[in-house]
Amino acid sequence: MGEVIVVTSGKGGVGKTTTTANIGTGLTLKGKSVVLVDADIGLRNLDVVMGLENRIVYDLVDVVEGVCRLRQALIKDKRYPNLFLLPAAQTKDKNAVNPEQMQKLAIDLSEEFDYVILDCPAGIEQGFKNAIAGANKAIVVTTPEVSAVRDADRIIGLLEASGLRNPMLIINRIKMEMVKRGDMMNIDDMIDILAIDLLGVIPDDDLIVVSTNRGEPVIATDQSLAGQAYRNVVRRLMGEDIPFMNLESDDGFFKKMAKLFGLNKKKQ
Amino acid sequence: MAENAVIFKGTKDGLYIILKEEMDLDTIKYNLDKKIKPSKRFFEGAKVMNFKGKELTQEEFNELKEVMEQEYSMTVVGNYSDKTHFVQEERSAVKKPEILEQIPFENVHKGEALIVRTTLRSGQLIQYKGDVVVIGDVNPGAHIKAVGSVIVMGTVRGIIQAGANGDYGAYIVAYKMQPSQLRIGDIITRSPDGMGSKSDNPEIALVEKGMIVVEPYLKNK
Repeated sequence: MGEVIVVTSGKGGVGKTTTTANIGTGLTLKGKSVVLVDADIGLRNLDVVMGLENRIVYDLVDVVEGVCRLRQALIKDKRYPNLFLLPAAQTKDKNAVNPEQMQKLAIDLSEEFDYVILDCPAGIEQGFKNAIAGANKAIVVTTPEVSAVRDADRIIGLLEASGLRNPMLIINRIKMEMVKRGDMMNIDDMIDILAIDLLGVIPDDDLIVVSTNRGEPVIATDQSLAGQAYRNVVRRLMGEDIPFMNLESDDGFFKKMAKLFGLNKKKQ
Repeated sequence: MAENAVIFKGTKDGLYIILKEEMDLDTIKYNLDKKIKPSKRFFEGAKVMNFKGKELTQEEFNELKEVMEQEYSMTVVGNYSDKTHFVQEERSAVKKPEILEQIPFENVHKGEALIVRTTLRSGQLIQYKGDVVVIGDVNPGAHIKAVGSVIVMGTVRGIIQAGANGDYGAYIVAYKMQPSQLRIGDIITRSPDGMGSKSDNPEIALVEKGMIVVEPYLKNK
């Protein structure tokens, strides 16, 4: 039986879909069989981020309604043989599915795959309740902003109330120069409020925009700092103890170049 | 046991020598010698207010007084006649130990408190008809509404409401006071803009002259 992980946040636009795509890709690069499930019915975009939007025939609602078998709806990734996507429906909405159906779906999928990763929609209503229904682990994504942290705190409370204890935290889109200037929340303040284990800190990276448009998750790109951070996240998920990246760039020009090409493999 | 035949006792009035009741005069003199002689210089010129404890006769008193003055250069200030007066006081001061009953002192509050051992997260609400104790933080967006007082063993960043039925005597205590709002009775207040608590010590919020004030939990902190 595989792990069923839900990636949630409360607030929209903090990076759940990006995180789902990159963690899924990262795990499959490590040899695991992974299925990504887009639980954002009506506003699907995991398929776009993965570059698979033209290959959708059946979707999650079709499976739940019995229109097709589960196998028929799964889309194999164009790059990796062990990575699959179960897309959401675009023409329906979140009331098309209920939590019990999602639980059964999660069980069925976890029998076939090492990892089932659910991309949760924003909010706390039906979509959220559906997405967490089948999960046994949760990753909470937030950005270093007061509003995002507030929503993440709410979500953690709801997760704990529904039995998903010890969610893990990913802080996304951090800008260390702003943190140093005091213009952005720092990591310690966020953990002080949220009080859950930190899984990863992903720096803000322009290459994310590029990768989304191309449909190629950034974790496979060596030049991206965000990609490096996601690679560390995946290794931590798999049990390795990786120190957090030193995101401060007070390096000179040559050090920066060396980092870009992955030649600077210092651990702190 | 013989050491305690003679005890020196300093009070705010001066030095008294307390003599054990059963001792005879010779034993007393022997013990006085034992106590004073080793530090004779130290005791020279010292004033003894009076003897206490053993009932002395006039002669015994005079004899002791002479010994003090001649042998040890210590003066005995009091008179024989004073003595009885003091003795009684001493006697009445020695009571059998009693079981102390409840001493009523001020600011004692009795009631059944709700104790919550978790951090309150955004969106969580506690309502209680009594006092509330939280062992954990109160995050922004969390709300406590108590009829009594609220004590938070952690950081308050949310909304705390004490004395919800109109009791202005209710108070709010926290290790770190950084609330979005405090309410006692129907009085509402918020932190000064941009500030949280800068104190390292716990603080208490209470009503004074119709306003909520926040001060250190102890007067001298």
